[in-house]
Amino acid sequence: MEELLSEVVPQQDLEKFEKKYHQELDQQSVSHRTQFEYAWCLVRSSYAPDIQKGILLLEDLMTRDADGKRDYIYYLAIGNARIKQYSLAMKFCKAFLQIEPNNQQVISLEQYVKDKLEKESLKGIAVAGGAALALGGLIGLGIALAKNRKTANKD
Amino acid sequence: MSSGPYNYNYIFKYIIIGDMGVGKSCLLHQFTEKKFMANCPHTIGVEFGTRIIEVADKKIKLQIWDTAGQERFRAVTRSYYRGAAGALMVYDITRRSTYNHLSSWLTDTRNLTNPNTVIFLIGNKSDLESTREVTYEEAKQFADENGLMFAEASAMNGQNVEEAFLETARKIYQNIQEGRLDLNASESGVQHRPSQPGRTSLTSDTPNNKDQCSC
Repeated sequence: MEELLSEVVPQQDLEKFEKKYHQELDQQSVSHRTQFEYAWCLVRSSYAPDIQKGILLLEDLMTRDADGKRDYIYYLAIGNARIKQYSLAMKFCKAFLQIEPNNQQVISLEQYVKDKLEKESLKGIAVAGGAALALGGLIGLGIALAKNRKTANKD
Repeated sequence: MSSGPYNYNYIFKYIIIGDMGVGKSCLLHQFTEKKFMANCPHTIGVEFGTRIIEVADKKIKLQIWDTAGQERFRAVTRSYYRGAAGALMVYDITRRSTYNHLSSWLTDTRNLTNPNTVIFLIGNKSDLESTREVTYEEAKQFADENGLMFAEASAMNGQNVEEAFLETARKIYQNIQEGRLDLNASESGVQHRPSQPGRTSLTSDTPNNKDQCSC
């Protein structure tokens, strides 16, 4: 799964499909296929803004082309996973698996995303725990200082 | 990735191509999981699989890109051909149309890979003898005329699946031994992992370090 989420579109391909998309855009008749091809390249970019743009194009396709829905949902999950928006990626995996519960491609992606989410939540707990410890330390320091002052006052 | 010792000496990149429904993903699944995946849905875009094999006492990691056969994915899946050391080109022996399209798949492969890319032709579904539409002989002849390796295989019962993946690797390895592949060129589809540095060395276990050599 790591490989699928880290491979990067060759620059010349991205440019090729971008050009095709813009040509059709100029004529105000972008076909579903052209938009999908461009979006698929964008979500494989190494730049997050490209991936975001790809996601927008896929979301737009979702509203316009019911036939390709399966492909769009899958790449929405991939795109979101690539920019570490794991909760969103999870949402798309679940939506897909509702229609095709046995799809191995999506099951492996969902597992990967689930692991990432669990790790993030553990990290969250660790950070919260760390904060509690730090706070405890501060209070302890405060008490110690107060005590010190008391003893100092006695002198 | 971790900088620990690699447990393989080489990485070979493979692609699997061919018409939709010929069983590309099932072949990959049979090879990596040793199981038959029944009712396999059409692949979306590309799928990825990996397995470490052994050729001539060397451990080789196969990185396998399994492309979707549906026409609407074809333009973009072409970008996965680049830098493939091996290409498994699959047709279905029970559907003549999938065999008839081989020349178009072959043209793509030749145009997008390097001259040393090893192409293995697989006639899948050899277990379905009663509905066969393509004879072994004609496919063998096609393979010979085009310099391809060839076998009929069955992703269902596993026949010849292992062999197809392994023989491709042996041929690639042979090309390396004979100096036909430039391992420094990314399009060769082969990466060499130098075998393991001693544990005493703290700095030499990342591959990048060799670039810092001032010689």
